[in-house]
Amino acid sequence: MNPSDLKIRFDELCAGRALGDLTPEEEREWVALASETGLNPDSAFELLAASIEVDAIQDHLEPLPAKLAARLHQWADETAKSAPTNIVRAEIPAWKAIVANPFSGWAAAAAILILSLLLTRKETPIPPAQAEIRLRSEAKDLIERSFAGIGDFKDAGGKVIWSDQLQQGYMTLSGIPANDPNKAQYQLWVVDPARDSDAPVDGGVFDIPSDGSPVVVPIAAKLALNKPQAFVITLEQPGGVVKSKQEKVVALAKN
Amino acid sequence: MFPRFQAFPVWERGFVRIQPSIFGQIDEAAYSAPRTVTTFDSTAQNPILPRVAAGEPRAMNLCVTHYGPLIWGIVRRYIKDTAEAEDLVQEVFTEVWKKAASFDPAIASEATYIGLITRRRSIDYLRRQGRQPGFEPLAAAESIPTPTAQPTSITCDPETVRSSVATLPADTRELFHLFFEDGFTHPEIAQKTGLPLGTVKTRLRRGLITLRDHLRRAGHSNIQPAS
Repeated sequence: MNPSDLKIRFDELCAGRALGDLTPEEEREWVALASETGLNPDSAFELLAASIEVDAIQDHLEPLPAKLAARLHQWADETAKSAPTNIVRAEIPAWKAIVANPFSGWAAAAAILILSLLLTRKETPIPPAQAEIRLRSEAKDLIERSFAGIGDFKDAGGKVIWSDQLQQGYMTLSGIPANDPNKAQYQLWVVDPARDSDAPVDGGVFDIPSDGSPVVVPIAAKLALNKPQAFVITLEQPGGVVKSKQEKVVALAKN
Repeated sequence: MFPRFQAFPVWERGFVRIQPSIFGQIDEAAYSAPRTVTTFDSTAQNPILPRVAAGEPRAMNLCVTHYGPLIWGIVRRYIKDTAEAEDLVQEVFTEVWKKAASFDPAIASEATYIGLITRRRSIDYLRRQGRQPGFEPLAAAESIPTPTAQPTSITCDPETVRSSVATLPADTRELFHLFFEDGFTHPEIAQKTGLPLGTVKTRLRRGLITLRDHLRRAGHSNIQPAS
């Protein structure tokens, strides 16, 4: 295809994404076009789709269910105690020390495109331990790092594997104390040099059971990752946080 | 609203919505919450999100009251399970709260901005289904991209979009009506219109592209001239 045809095709795929109708193959094509041609996605299509949909349904709206409305208002009362601008970004200066060599390749937008691969793969859920084995056999770009415990968690250890191509990864952890999910939960942070080094990507929260056996935890990165440089586990409040104070750093795995 | 087309009976539609009762007034007492008449244009001159971003007390409550039915309505089009839909609505409001400061009225209306967040969250939810076995996602994912953080080549206000839709070919408008207003899926549209599925997808996509190009030509471009 010539550049004009590529642009037309890319627009079609962007429009399809706004409509939510891309097939997995088209998602991959979209990512490939963005990375190979440098084309940027145009959120105009999402804006248009939202505008049309809002216009279409606004005369037919139902009220919120009473219980949900009550829950939301209670939540809104609580949010009034803190300004939202305080938590928009996970700005953690200490991450700069971990990221020594910022990646100079893709723009963040291109990295976001890869997320579509992750989000559109329809799979039957299988146990994480089996999924980890399958990833090892399927991924051709697998990276593997070892965790080292930090401070009070010196016994913590394990491995982390990650595939950029498949946007999947797993941690196999041992020596980490069991947590009470009602009091605290572990949270993974991934340092992606393609992004702002002050804003590690949230890799999800997880629990460690009390039986002491190694546990396999899937990585649930909230953004696409590209050659992640470090994986850091912290202990946070239940549900995790959007901005870690790094008061309890459990383990670190880095290049 | 769009120019009307021959409507399918309500019982054939893809999702539930309130319809005028042929038996007269809807029994208000049957609903546990007051009926809401929402006019989103009313917030154009006094948007709520800047007040949320400024930390104004009760602003988020106002947002819940004003936009709750819209968010609920959009989410229900995508998520049929009530409990899952309620959880997603909570996630949407959390994101709206966090991204309130990013709202730019020069690009889109507040309702469109919130609708965009809701649609994106809903579509992403459907994509995520079947993934992340046994792993609890954060309710308030910080890293969902801010809607307007990605470049947009246009600005769009509801009235302009509405009039632009009217310029589309009749067959495309009919597909837009079936998809956006009636909430039919692509396969359902293909079945109802007799068009091949691929044609439905292509026409809907190209309809959006045509709309964007129309808005650009009409002077609603958001592309900054090269310096």
